[in-house]
Amino acid sequence: MGKRRRSRALALLLERSRDRRESAGEFWALRHVSFTVERGETVGIIGRNGSGKSTLLRVIAGVYPPDEGKVSVQGEVSTLFSLGTGFNAELSGRDNIYLDGIMIGMTKTQIDGIIDGIIEFTELGDFIEMPVRTYSSGMRSRLGFAIAMNSDKDIVLIDEIMSAGDAAFRQKAEAEMNRIMGEKTVLLVSHAMGTIEKFASKVIWLDRGVIAAMGEPKEIIEQYLAASKVKKRPPDEY
Amino acid sequence: MIEQIKKVWQRRELLWYIVKLQMKAENKNKVLGFVWSFLDPLLLFLTYMILVHVIFGRGGPQFPVLLFIALLSWRWFASSLQRSVTSVTSKVGLIQSVRFPLAILPLSGIIIGFFDWLFGFAILVPMLFIFEASFTVNILWLPVLLLIEFVGTVGACLIVAVVGTYLSDLGNIIQFVIRICFYLSPILYSIEETVPERLRTLYLLGNPFAGLLESYKNVLILGIPPTEYVLVGTAVGCVAFLVGLWYFSRDEHKLVKSI
Repeated sequence: MGKRRRSRALALLLERSRDRRESAGEFWALRHVSFTVERGETVGIIGRNGSGKSTLLRVIAGVYPPDEGKVSVQGEVSTLFSLGTGFNAELSGRDNIYLDGIMIGMTKTQIDGIIDGIIEFTELGDFIEMPVRTYSSGMRSRLGFAIAMNSDKDIVLIDEIMSAGDAAFRQKAEAEMNRIMGEKTVLLVSHAMGTIEKFASKVIWLDRGVIAAMGEPKEIIEQYLAASKVKKRPPDEY
Repeated sequence: MIEQIKKVWQRRELLWYIVKLQMKAENKNKVLGFVWSFLDPLLLFLTYMILVHVIFGRGGPQFPVLLFIALLSWRWFASSLQRSVTSVTSKVGLIQSVRFPLAILPLSGIIIGFFDWLFGFAILVPMLFIFEASFTVNILWLPVLLLIEFVGTVGACLIVAVVGTYLSDLGNIIQFVIRICFYLSPILYSIEETVPERLRTLYLLGNPFAGLLESYKNVLILGIPPTEYVLVGTAVGCVAFLVGLWYFSRDEHKLVKSI
């Protein structure tokens, strides 16, 4: 009896710590989100902070298994590139390119073949041998973006990394986006509506974990911007 | 569970890279860099040498080399365990970017620990000559003993990696448990000298590490086969391995969501 009670107490302790962050009621980061993306399509995902955009990309990347519903991905997904994550800050940019490549299932020889192109694209010069922790956010996004564009994977997930670069890099990145458009399937999360409008053939607007609207980029962006205008909310929402 | 082993095996190149780059990152900013891999075990060894041999005046003529072997093998287990507590939580960025078998994370810590063991072994070899260890064919048992330790360590680390992700307090608990086990194991003392004869069997049966450490000493220094008590460690190790594998496989997808 005593033993049994103890193990139950331990289980309870584990249960509690596991659920600590969700204990304030059930929270669904995403629910009832359903859409399809054609091969070669570029889909923009917009929405306020915390609306589930990054979570959606992670679900597609296979990082989070869905609690309900199904995700079916045909083709290989590259790493999800977002600012400041995924890199090992102590290692050089070069080592991180290898690590990232191996992570998404490339072999060392394959990476050897493309690494010069990636480094050239980043324009990081000698900084490529420096630890990533010394990089500015713009430099990190260059590195991430360069890897994303040069990997041989069919599906590219980009989480807000283009906006941190400077004007010159943005131009270059946009040219690169044009190059892979139609060839790769891209899911692009961004708060830069200009970028989304330029590249996306379809836009998904997420709001608190559900699709608020989906369709023609221009139309959806307009709706989103209109809804985002600061409105006076009823006091009970505060 | 076999699925889990297969998944890790398929991503062995990734595992190898994480080990390699982790070791590189750890040594990069140090002035002595790589030299620490040799200095660490030596300094640890000297500390306990002074404590036990010089201050307390314990231990026979072969004590230094006996101590060193026990320390090396113990350190492999203890450091792996410590690393694996935070092995998942410390790699949030990586985990959230791409899907890969998470068991690679605690496993990489164990492999790094094994490299530390190897560096230590390089120092041990000349010591074996200095202290006139008897080399016999029994030295062939060494890989078997290492395998037993590896299997048990993997099991323990898989469990600790899962629990450590849910419960950050585990880091403090583990530190304490490791310390206690250190004193309960025949590292600083020999069983013959310290443990009363009537308790010896109980001690060897109760401490899975005791038989293993004694066996390391047997095959490396005394040139005799492992003690039969190594079977206790083997059994405990195998059970830990199976439980760890089962527990980790069951909770793997929950881990991603709880970080």
